[in-house]
Amino acid sequence: MTELPRLFDRRAVHRNRIRALADREYQPFLLDEVADRLVERLGEIRRPFPRVLELGSWRGRLADLLRLAGPGKELIVAVDPVADALDVGPGLKVQAEPEALPFADESFDLVVSALALHHVDDLPGVLLQLRRILAPDGLMLLALLGGESLFELRTALMQAELDIKGGAAMRVAPFVDIRDAAALLQRAGLALPVADVDRITVSYPDALALLHELQSMGEGGALLERPKGLFRRDLLLRAAQIYGEQFARADGRVIASFDILHLSGWKPHGSQQQPARRGSGQVRLAAAMGVPVEVLEGRAPPQGRDPDDQAG
Amino acid sequence: MPVAPVPPPQPAAAPVDPQLLAILVCPLTKSPLRYDRTAGELISDKAGLAFPIRDGIPIMLVDEARRIEDDPHPPVPPGLRP
Repeated sequence: MTELPRLFDRRAVHRNRIRALADREYQPFLLDEVADRLVERLGEIRRPFPRVLELGSWRGRLADLLRLAGPGKELIVAVDPVADALDVGPGLKVQAEPEALPFADESFDLVVSALALHHVDDLPGVLLQLRRILAPDGLMLLALLGGESLFELRTALMQAELDIKGGAAMRVAPFVDIRDAAALLQRAGLALPVADVDRITVSYPDALALLHELQSMGEGGALLERPKGLFRRDLLLRAAQIYGEQFARADGRVIASFDILHLSGWKPHGSQQQPARRGSGQVRLAAAMGVPVEVLEGRAPPQGRDPDDQAG
Repeated sequence: MPVAPVPPPQPAAAPVDPQLLAILVCPLTKSPLRYDRTAGELISDKAGLAFPIRDGIPIMLVDEARRIEDDPHPPVPPGLRP
């Protein structure tokens, strides 16, 4: 087995989350917003989901919403690598990494995940595992931070570091691109794969308030190659200044963009819509479109011929 | 003659829910697990790992698992490190 290039420091990811979860007063507003939207999307699907897996948990906030909406009548399992994330919440709990899921094939009808998969190194591998643990005609509905998330912060930090140190390190993790995500779903062998982006724009008094919020969310730096130690104060202040200059609204508050990638796909099953078998058509495309065959084939129609006279 | 004090019995580990037991497999090998109720461990014979259970929650992390047939807390082999 070839060793996967590692991008994230798992220990740092966990440490950041444990620290964030320690503040029980903090309301993870972005998570709640994403969870709301996820449940709303699920509401559009007419199918019961008796067995549900919540992949990545914040004290079961998503599972709580889901249960109210209907799914999970038979079984709800919350999975998180961090014990503190599981100390409250509905259903049964298992401590595990999303990249090494300890569930048998076809154990669930629905897998949901909110803001838990942007730190995994092997997203394609996770999708394959999810496909494996889904029952036929089971659904995965994943919302992850991706796309252009936090591009303002990335820009400001990079500019500040260039100004002060003459070089810049990667501070904000790279995110999954929406086109890549769609391709991954397809490669994982999921039926009816859909990937789309929801942008949530949040305003803060200043960039330092944004950084504080990110820490509260458990999203401090976790890149393996990140610069160790705290930000230098001058760097931080310069970045905040650049942020304020470039990304402030008229009222002086700064904005931060969070792109939420919604990925969904079904475990293949015979009852799903399928493309028709090749050669099974009964009507010529030309007839259906009401144009001469030659037009479709790129040849000009013969002079004087009636375009309607092409059926058969 | 005074007898050496008997260590207090370990509090019985909270059992794992049967619904969970039915679907749990080894996170590494995806092979079935043995449930050792007295030790409060889920054992993967194939991976040679025993996963602990705390408050009824299975800890299916390789980092936290005990290597079987060795001393209780050996380092995790490099190939199994996350």
